[in-house]
Amino acid sequence: MPTGSVSWAAKVAAVVRKELVSEFRTRYAINAIVMFALVTLTVVSFAVGLLSPSSEMMAALFWIILFFAAMSGLAQTFIKEEESGTALVLKLSSDGSVIFFGKLLFNLLLLIVLAVLIVPLFIIFLKIIPANWAVFLTGLVLGIVGLAGATTIVAAIVSKATVKGALFTVLSFPVLLPLLVAVIEITTVGFSGGGFGEISAPLQLLVAYDVVMTTLSVMLFDFVWRL
Amino acid sequence: MWWKIAILLVMSAVIVLAFVTASPMNPTITLGPVDVYRIFYFHVPTAWVASVAFLVAMFQAIQYLRTRDMSRDVRAAAANRLGLVFAILAVITGSIFARMTWGEFWNWSEIREVSIFILLLIYGAYFALRSALPDPETRATLSAVLTIIFAAAALFLIFVLPRVYPAFSQHPSDTIVDSEGQITMGSMVIVIFATSLVVFTALFFWIYRLTVRIGLVEQKRSLE
Repeated sequence: MPTGSVSWAAKVAAVVRKELVSEFRTRYAINAIVMFALVTLTVVSFAVGLLSPSSEMMAALFWIILFFAAMSGLAQTFIKEEESGTALVLKLSSDGSVIFFGKLLFNLLLLIVLAVLIVPLFIIFLKIIPANWAVFLTGLVLGIVGLAGATTIVAAIVSKATVKGALFTVLSFPVLLPLLVAVIEITTVGFSGGGFGEISAPLQLLVAYDVVMTTLSVMLFDFVWRL
Repeated sequence: MWWKIAILLVMSAVIVLAFVTASPMNPTITLGPVDVYRIFYFHVPTAWVASVAFLVAMFQAIQYLRTRDMSRDVRAAAANRLGLVFAILAVITGSIFARMTWGEFWNWSEIREVSIFILLLIYGAYFALRSALPDPETRATLSAVLTIIFAAAALFLIFVLPRVYPAFSQHPSDTIVDSEGQITMGSMVIVIFATSLVVFTALFFWIYRLTVRIGLVEQKRSLE
């Protein structure tokens, strides 16, 4: 367990720094995520470019792009440790909660980069501007926090499996579905221009989901990590 | 032994009574043919058993992580396997009912249908993970962790979503309780329905015990 809050935070920061350094060396996760997002965005643009879809449709498409792009990259966080044989050293160097939060924050950074890239492109290619930016950004932030919080432990589980390829998406989808339903609802309102009053129910659901899934992941992570 | 005979007798009685007594739905507020609502006696218990199986699996998963007793993993897997079967039965009976009353076998805007479909996806994912983990200890631990995570996600779906989006559910909620929370079923309907729930649950635990015994024998043989 953490010996003191400062040193614990410093350890987490060290894990994030290590992840960033190794990511800058290989650029594997960021390349996969960005290219996947661009490809899906292009397909979506070709498919609906000549139509003028409703804001429900736009919100769903936006989250489909984000979901699949995230799936292509987030699985790597633990798989790369297993494949390069560094998992054991990482286990020796620090305890589970430090590793978990380090990986979680790194995944969150990846998703922030993805969102910063995809939101302007989505607006340019699909010719839609969120009518209520505050609602749209609230949904986006809570959505990617939940995405990272719920899938980090799934990535840890998948890294131990013999067939890793599609397993991450298969296992993540049922976990993420409540999040996607709520966040698509919020993004729809963000595009169409309603106020916060219209999204109180999905907003409560989303906040509860983020808190519950992240807490549960922290509690269960040691079982997966100390295997 | 006596309770297995009792299951046979009571189940037969429920099946006969479900078809000879009056339909559970009040004819003045029905959407389709009144007899269609007799499926209520079988559809709701299968969905109920699918949920019970999931709760049993979750309980056994938690017990496994606490005790590291491999027989707990066998029990969790058995409960999940039966949950899968009963969830499929609930989907089939529900689809027949949906076709007869709402005109479509499947409706994506019906949140309870979506929920049970996600339950099927969860079972599918659970067995996909198990087949990808050759080592028994790793398989037991990781599938137990996954079961608990899925249980949290399923709680959001099954209990939270239909209440957050009340307009989504087309289920005849006034079959059991009306809008004031009063029980609207006739006394005969309550008796048959409650008996059906009990006997379906008993049937589940019977098959569950058999599946666990087979699983334990297989586990013992693989260790030798």
